[in-house]
Amino acid sequence: MATSHPSSELLEQLQTLSGQNVSDCYQCGCCTSGCPIGEAMDPPPSKAIRLLQLGKAQELLDSEGIWMCASCLVCGTRCPRAVDYARIAEACRALILRSKQSRVDPDTVTVPELEEIPQQAFIAAFRKSSV
Amino acid sequence: MTKYAYYPGCTLYTKARNLDLCARKAAEKVGFELTEMPSWNCCGAIYNATSDDLAAQVGPVRNLAKASQLGEKLVTLCAACYNVLKRVQDRLDQPGNEIESERLKTFVDEKFERSVKVLHYLEVLKNDIGWDRVKEKVTKPLAKLKVASYYGCLMVRPKEVLGFDDPENPQVMDDLMRVLGAEPTKFDFKAECCGGYLVVNRREVAKAASQKILDNARAWGAEAIVTTCPLCQYNLDKLRVLTDGSLPVFYFTQLLGVAVGLNLDELGLEHSAGDPAGFLRSKGLL
Repeated sequence: MATSHPSSELLEQLQTLSGQNVSDCYQCGCCTSGCPIGEAMDPPPSKAIRLLQLGKAQELLDSEGIWMCASCLVCGTRCPRAVDYARIAEACRALILRSKQSRVDPDTVTVPELEEIPQQAFIAAFRKSSV
Repeated sequence: MTKYAYYPGCTLYTKARNLDLCARKAAEKVGFELTEMPSWNCCGAIYNATSDDLAAQVGPVRNLAKASQLGEKLVTLCAACYNVLKRVQDRLDQPGNEIESERLKTFVDEKFERSVKVLHYLEVLKNDIGWDRVKEKVTKPLAKLKVASYYGCLMVRPKEVLGFDDPENPQVMDDLMRVLGAEPTKFDFKAECCGGYLVVNRREVAKAASQKILDNARAWGAEAIVTTCPLCQYNLDKLRVLTDGSLPVFYFTQLLGVAVGLNLDELGLEHSAGDPAGFLRSKGLL
């Protein structure tokens, strides 16, 4: 039987924004094992989804992991239950960015970086991590 | 000569001008022409995957509307532009999305004439020109050059939408390399992410991801890597540790250009790390 907890509204919001149902995940770990930055990502995809299943949405929102996702979509492509973690991470970031909290400040980019890195990377990084 | 509307995107006139340059020249050699579409704008560089954020789709929709006035097909070269434009067009076309689709089109001050088929240059080569015709134009075969074809993420995922190649073991660049006379190597990380835009604020993460890809290509005996994304090219080419400097990273258009006989000044090799021209010379290809 479903129990209500304080973060159920937050979870609802994340599920709507991401279009994903977190209870579809059966924790096989395919997403995390395929994640190219899973070792550096805390929490990695499967653990992040587990937090949501356990009603700890706020814990995920406060984590670093959601900002480490490179949106490469390998997790969702390999998921046997068609859960797309990249969209869940996107929804988490969106909620934070919509409350006007940036993670990357465009003003901190240095001139050598500007001259070197392809602009598609700047646009993508700012879109994913700044207001 | 078949003409295609062409969307260069932000990076191909600046940091990846070498990708654009030899792509156009090589296209003419194999029998098609890229005509830049008028007054295009940024595609947004990355697809926004939240269900309600229509504002992020407006830029790409405007490009698609403009392109729809020119014809049915729009050709891209940058893997990011390809991914974003194709996914947004798919979102507009999805059954059940009619209301959202109409709303999006009303944000744009352009008439949307028809659905646009967003094509990558590699799809044009494979499906419209055909490998046989490409092969006929090869004047300098890349004799037995061992190449690891690196696709990254944006060419192959999400598979339901992009769908022109296998998301785990894509083939199109390998096929092209074979047609050009090269020998595509096996390679475990063909579609593994290079770290992408994390290079902006998590440089070490992107570097580690890219290094794994380079090491694996080398372990399979590759002498060079070939890619189609300016960001993959940057991450693999410029982030690598110095000891690894001998594995050159080419755009597929550069190797296509070599094989169809473009001149050195049409290849744009000077924008890459190391000495790719020297490498080609050592292989008797320049």
